[in-house]
Amino acid sequence: MKTILEKPKSIVQSCGWCGGCGHGVIQRLIAESNEELGLTDKTINVVDIACCFWSLDGLDYDGIAGPHGRCAAVATAIKKVRPDKNIYVHAGDGASYGIGLSETMFAALRDIPITMIVVNNGIFGMTGGQMSIATTLMGEKTTSSQNGRVQELNGEPQDFLNILSQMDIEFAARGALYDVKEIKRTKDLIKTGLTRQSEKKGFSIIEVLSPCPTNWGMSPVDAQTRIKEIYTKQYPLKVYTDRGGREHE
Amino acid sequence: MYKQLMKGNEAIAEGAIRAGCRFYAGYPITPQSEILEYMSKHMPENGGIFMQGESEVASVSMLWGAAAAGVRGMTSSSGPGFSLKQEGIAYIASYEVPAVIVSVMRYGIGGGDITQGQDSYLQAVKGGGNGDYRLIVFSPNSVNECANLTYEAFDIAEKYKNPALILGDGAIGQMVEMCDLPQHKEHDINKYSWSIKGRPAGEKKYKATNLNWYYGDREWEKMVRDKYRAIMDNEQRWENYCIEDAEMILVAYGISSRVCIDAVNMARGKGVKLGLIRPITLWPYPRNAFYDLPATLKGFMVVEMSITAQMKEDVILASKAKYPVFDYCTAIDIPIAENIVSACEDALEGRLAEREEL
Repeated sequence: MKTILEKPKSIVQSCGWCGGCGHGVIQRLIAESNEELGLTDKTINVVDIACCFWSLDGLDYDGIAGPHGRCAAVATAIKKVRPDKNIYVHAGDGASYGIGLSETMFAALRDIPITMIVVNNGIFGMTGGQMSIATTLMGEKTTSSQNGRVQELNGEPQDFLNILSQMDIEFAARGALYDVKEIKRTKDLIKTGLTRQSEKKGFSIIEVLSPCPTNWGMSPVDAQTRIKEIYTKQYPLKVYTDRGGREHE
Repeated sequence: MYKQLMKGNEAIAEGAIRAGCRFYAGYPITPQSEILEYMSKHMPENGGIFMQGESEVASVSMLWGAAAAGVRGMTSSSGPGFSLKQEGIAYIASYEVPAVIVSVMRYGIGGGDITQGQDSYLQAVKGGGNGDYRLIVFSPNSVNECANLTYEAFDIAEKYKNPALILGDGAIGQMVEMCDLPQHKEHDINKYSWSIKGRPAGEKKYKATNLNWYYGDREWEKMVRDKYRAIMDNEQRWENYCIEDAEMILVAYGISSRVCIDAVNMARGKGVKLGLIRPITLWPYPRNAFYDLPATLKGFMVVEMSITAQMKEDVILASKAKYPVFDYCTAIDIPIAENIVSACEDALEGRLAEREEL
């Protein structure tokens, strides 16, 4: 039997991401999920202005490029104005947990039915590989922590899904992209978030551990190995909270 | 028209609701918190959305998302809160999204003081956020204008796809007066071709982002230049008072302009011929008001509640530096009519030196 593989129809142009970057895989998972769930016709995307920005043009949705870190607030307002649409955020860890932590936390606290997809590569990719104070691992060398991240100066990286799942939200989970099984599992997580939103449930957040081979100075294969062997110890792959579609209590 | 006794800040909020504003996001700061409070009650009553943001930054970001989705929206602040909003204001201007922002000025630098002031002029009129944009700036000097200029600001913001600013001040914001409220009107959030709607497959999508990305740099630059030129040509507003035979013309806006009317009357009572030009739009600055000046004119006196006479540079520009421009600035204090008259007498009789513009 001959199988013809096609890209999702919503992907309408090539993007500028580097080879081996996880963003393209994540964008594809979003597009596939929306098409399989029949949500394409009511989807709005809110992309952060760093590497995620490519997805504004890459996908055939009405969309807005949020100011760095403010996507959760922008998405909150769009959801309030257009409650019947599915609104998802595509943003990095610096945007979601660093400069925009407050916006992320309060979107969760208000249990706004939006789906945040947070691309965690532990680094500032667009600006050339600086430390992300929220997520860069202890001892990790970056262009702004050239001798490695140290406790005295930077504190410790945090698993923000731990904190967010203390709130009464719909769904919080983490996935990765290092093999087919994990990619499939990550897609299931994204589908869960998007489905719950379309059922008018609450706030969902799916964090994806994503490689940045360019700024990590590694081959794409080595970068995925690093996620599997090192990153998942700090950032476990699991469902943190799942209200299972229960009404807000 | 519906007459009501109101506070200036409440009139701003009611004017917005009557203009079809159905989204408000804000954060408390004195002396404008009544706008937030009024909206929290009356926005839901009118079928609109009220959001108390976790910060000024989040509030203006919410406004931006809501306005890009097609709704008429507003945020309001003052002093340091208005500074925090500049990020979002610059983005709203860059994406050419109509929205209304209110700054009820307080006094001082940084935290400053919670009392009335007029020292956010330069921030409001000459920039504030990064990049090459202007806000269309209205300055009400009565509770009535608080309602009616806010009402009109939504239409003008929509006409030019540009954010408009109501630059009030703490004194007008807190003042209670009779107000003629305009008619209620509704706004259709689906009427724009350009807004975020969540269009289905097959329809051309709208992408809210920097417009040069789509139009190309040269074309976009021309759009920006042409837009601001058109606003400059069409939207200048001001009010003249007794300028036909004036020897000295006061130039003042907001609360200061009200004291200036008393000063003009008082001076004329003793034979000193003062007049007043009151800018109603601060950008575009009413340059046309300075084209046809009386032959009797000997100079201008800028009256402003600031330390450094922020508006003075615009008076020099508008009058093409043909006349001496004096300034009478009272910083944290509301000006007193008698003192304005004395300053003008001093200037006319050569006892007051014209200070160079900073």
